[in-house]
Amino acid sequence: MKFFTFIFVSFFSLIATANVAIFKFENELQEKRFKVLVAELRCPTCQNQNLADSNSMVAEDLKQIVYEQIIAGKTDEQILSFMKQRYGEFILYEPEIQSNIILWVGPFIFLVLALTGFLIWYKNNKVESSDD
Amino acid sequence: MSDKVNPLKGISVVLVFAGFMWFLWWSLSNTSSELPSQLIDRPVPQFSVSELLDENKQHTPDLFKEKISLLNVFASWCPACYDEHPYWDIYAQRDDLQIVGLNYKDKKDKALYFLETQGNPYEHILFDSSGRLGIEFGVYGAPETFLIGPNGKVRYRHVGVVTPAVFEEKFEPLISQIKQGF
Repeated sequence: MKFFTFIFVSFFSLIATANVAIFKFENELQEKRFKVLVAELRCPTCQNQNLADSNSMVAEDLKQIVYEQIIAGKTDEQILSFMKQRYGEFILYEPEIQSNIILWVGPFIFLVLALTGFLIWYKNNKVESSDD
Repeated sequence: MSDKVNPLKGISVVLVFAGFMWFLWWSLSNTSSELPSQLIDRPVPQFSVSELLDENKQHTPDLFKEKISLLNVFASWCPACYDEHPYWDIYAQRDDLQIVGLNYKDKKDKALYFLETQGNPYEHILFDSSGRLGIEFGVYGAPETFLIGPNGKVRYRHVGVVTPAVFEEKFEPLISQIKQGF
């Protein structure tokens, strides 16, 4: 049983490495940058996968472009902005401008509102009860 | 402690809460898997690709000058393109529009066979076998259709089949806007 599990698991790891192995890099840093970039970029077609995990046609092309641009000496920033110009903020898994900013700020606004409300209520209550 | 609760206060709290709930609900139902094009109101990207039917002929963005164009991204491997193709015969009959094809990531013989069997509604066909022009346009799946004004700027991008209903609803109003000079 253990043996089969081993075979099964190693089969998956083979698939995972096969993707990167197609690309030949000049040094380890380039390969590292490639891996980080394709993990940071979202596949426009499948949308729940990054480029690294996707085998869709567009994802394959975009990976190839990331590779070519790394070899051509482009910086990570240049590569990301190339992608952003064509596919928008969406392609970045961590968008720079938060279009969902309300989700981040909303709870704090509510906290402040609730605290203010509570303080006002508390103050009124105190004044009224001292009147008794 | 006063027994009276200010009714206005109560109502306003309920209203604010209801408004917030409505906003959340709206955000949920508004999620779309369709990506907005980055090219809206911007000039088409620079390119120079050959014509599918004549490899000696090169196309550049000048193709989109003078006339209102519909640029249809299609391929023989794309199932929905077969569904969509008959509609293009209808749109191609209009004198005020120029129908341009972008043959995306296709093999030449297969693309030619597609046109032979399905018909050719296109005035020009950009041959993009590598898919690099598609990426310049931000294409992420075929079929896609771009509406391009005579100033060479993209006005609209539709992902999916352009049915007559879609054409009527999405493209027609923009086409008349462009004609009025907007």
